Amino acid sequence: MAGERRPSGDRPPVAVRVARAGDGAVRVTAATGGAEAGGGAGAAFARLVLDVAGAVLRWPGGVRALADGAGSGLPSARIHDVSAAQEWLWALYGVPVAAAVQACALGEAGAAADLPAQPGPLTVAATRLAYGHWAARWWPASFPDRIPALAADLLGLERAASTYRCQQLFDGSGEQFDDCAAELIEEHEAGLDPLIAWWHGGVRDTASAGRVERILRLVDAAADGAGLDGPALRGLRTALDRRPPGTEAGPPRPSPDLGALFARQRDYALAAGDPSAAGGRVIARGTGLNDWRRYPPGALDACEDALTWTVRALGARRRIEVEALAGVAGPWGGPPLVAEITVDGGPAGRIPLTARGDALVGQAEVALPAAGPGRIEVGVLLPGFDPGPEPASGAVSGVALAADPSADRAADRAEREAVRGSARRRLARETPGAAPAPLLAEAAAAAVAATDTEDY
Amino acid sequence: MPSPSQPSSERTPRAMVIDRAWRALGPGLEALSGPQGAPLTRSVKLIVLPLVVRPSLHPDLAADFLEGPQAARLEELVRQAGDPLRATAQWFTRLKKARRALGVVAGNPQDLYFQPCFELATRYGAPAAGADERARAVVEELAEAGGGRTVEALKDHLADPDRQARLDAALAAPGGARRGDRAGDRGALSADEQRLAALALDALEACGGADGTGPGAAFTALLDGAFGTLVGRLLWARTSGLWGRDDLPTHLELTAHPRPPRPRVGRGASTATLPAPLDRTLFERLFGVLQASVRREELPPVAELVRREVGRSCAPLGLHDESLRVAVVLGGRLAVGLDPLGGGDPELRRTAAHRVVNGRWQREASVLRARRMTTGPDAGGGALAALAEDLRTPWVPYMRRLWVRLHGRDVREAAFEDLAALWAVLDGVARSVMMDHRARVRAALRALSVAPAAGEARSA
Repeated sequence: MAGERRPSGDRPPVAVRVARAGDGAVRVTAATGGAEAGGGAGAAFARLVLDVAGAVLRWPGGVRALADGAGSGLPSARIHDVSAAQEWLWALYGVPVAAAVQACALGEAGAAADLPAQPGPLTVAATRLAYGHWAARWWPASFPDRIPALAADLLGLERAASTYRCQQLFDGSGEQFDDCAAELIEEHEAGLDPLIAWWHGGVRDTASAGRVERILRLVDAAADGAGLDGPALRGLRTALDRRPPGTEAGPPRPSPDLGALFARQRDYALAAGDPSAAGGRVIARGTGLNDWRRYPPGALDACEDALTWTVRALGARRRIEVEALAGVAGPWGGPPLVAEITVDGGPAGRIPLTARGDALVGQAEVALPAAGPGRIEVGVLLPGFDPGPEPASGAVSGVALAADPSADRAADRAEREAVRGSARRRLARETPGAAPAPLLAEAAAAAVAATDTEDY
Repeated sequence: MPSPSQPSSERTPRAMVIDRAWRALGPGLEALSGPQGAPLTRSVKLIVLPLVVRPSLHPDLAADFLEGPQAARLEELVRQAGDPLRATAQWFTRLKKARRALGVVAGNPQDLYFQPCFELATRYGAPAAGADERARAVVEELAEAGGGRTVEALKDHLADPDRQARLDAALAAPGGARRGDRAGDRGALSADEQRLAALALDALEACGGADGTGPGAAFTALLDGAFGTLVGRLLWARTSGLWGRDDLPTHLELTAHPRPPRPRVGRGASTATLPAPLDRTLFERLFGVLQASVRREELPPVAELVRREVGRSCAPLGLHDESLRVAVVLGGRLAVGLDPLGGGDPELRRTAAHRVVNGRWQREASVLRARRMTTGPDAGGGALAALAEDLRTPWVPYMRRLWVRLHGRDVREAAFEDLAALWAVLDGVARSVMMDHRARVRAALRALSVAPAAGEARSA
């Protein structure tokens, strides 16, 4: 595969600007498309961020630009502690940018001239880490959309390995949220045995073959450095000792079934209509708004019409029934999600949802205007998780709140569709220039999905 | 990574010079290096800078950017340290082995062992015969560091009923320090109190500017006027109105009572149930100090620790040193203007220090959204909503953390020498409070995401 292994000399320099923000922070942004580098650019679910020593990195254009090979792959930086950031600025952007940041912090900067930034191996690794974190939070897994879920433990170990690979970006103080290799290893230890089995069984996919071993070695080194221990990690050490790098372990063994190794897609039992809900005359039905930001990862299927509703007339009464498609990994078992109903922009009412088959369902009586059912809007959220609308924060330069909420909704819908498109293209490896190169979790999901298609 | 042949400006980042010199040392440093051969961040922070480069001896190497000659000298220093560094790497491997064998799990091995390994390397060279025993001894010694200054020792010391009674009597003695002037309760601010408020704002304005702290005149005035002591006494006298908001108590929840009660001796403590700082028993106050594993060997012996804590816990704000009491004043003024949710009273958050800290909170909020780690106030929102509600009273966790940190300094007799040192602590506490919150959100969300699997396992 193209991508990570290219020598740094092949990567063209990217023009960036270094400037001081109002609050004393120093910013490094791409010279073109500067507005994109602002704090609130794009919907939250498309943003790539990384918390590093002395700075926050963001990738302009978010996940779409990366996955579509459209961006330079170069993050922008908001540096609040220049001295801490000098440990890695030179490796991420090159010396001229590091020097310009220093000059800017000392107030020596002249005119805001464009500077050549030279992306290096650390830039590639940081992009991979940021993308891995994004995938763990926002991957749009969906059964109707045929976008398989990513195996959480595999992805977790891959993120741990990436974190360790990027150790230069963190200062070891525990103050950077993304400096969490040890936590990720502890949380996703269960993925070690399948990953070792995959490695031992021979990885068919050449792009992934080297990566499996690399990840295992990085995880081992990260665990060793952090003083982690336990049966799974000892098993890893033994496996790595037994097979030194570059040697083949005897005759090729049969390739393992990836679906068996990593959580396989569940077979869907689409919920049949609840008999108790039948009856009455259907007077309205529609699709609700599946806003990913209002519930935790995996709680619902990510497809656009995961949420449907029906209003029935039972004599003079009106009843609304809501049905939401559960997440691909299994029905939500946390505290109850609720459907939020508004009629003609009135106050929102809530209906708790309960699991039935692969759906979450709920119903309640509603008061509707006599003239007709009116404009009914339905959404799903987890109370306490839903953060509400994002404020136009002071960090965002000149981005006004859209006056028209329906324009916002249309933009969000387009953004979700674009994210799904990116995910599909990555699974199909349609965009050779896409950065980062496919994650193992993506490769495994694509392989499992390919086997599953035979069953359809 | 820029190649060495790149037309570089004459100044080079010090980190890059170290990186190059490190790689030039060749193999044998794997245990101290990252996956791509770069030195580990901790190798630089704990070994190369303090023990090899030693900027205190070479002040011209203390900068983030180095001129040609300085860069060459630094490279030479690292090159000369090649043998000890390779030996350090070997010792580190031995110590990790010993650690595993002894079943030690506490602490980060790099933090704990890097410097001792460098000491072993300079003293004995590479590990030779008997090295494993030596490694074992070092690991054991570090695991038991503190020379008896432990919570256990404190428990034993306070177990004696006669001693308990004596200490309790000493704590009950009506020290003049605890006598407050209740006449001022709820009244208008006195001239001193008004001057105090103005000075606190001046000092905070001088903190957190782009260039660190400005002149420390306000800090000096606060110290000279013993304004920290004044606030400590006001805690016993005035119940509100001090912080520019009538709805906030003078004590800022440093106590759960209207006024701090007289301290008791106590005989037990647990981290999960520690009361507000000024309500803590003698035992609980020292428990916090002894529990923090860092530099316990610097503490006075337990008996002395207890003796001094009696006086300290009766003193204003539970602190002896005036500069630390002033830090409570400045921290309090900063804390009442913390505004993690945005939209607070601009008058309360108008200093440079407030802008720095609140700016960080707001960026954090944006990053948490991108991380899908959000919370929102919601009557039906359970634990997550409770975390969101906590952000409405940020001064509570801020003041608690600040007090613990100041108390730790007081016990070690580490006064603040200038405003810059004080601001570093105020800012650090603000970061800690934010990270605490973030960690609690993460834990709460993790608890949610574990639930479905557990549910399925039960039903299967």
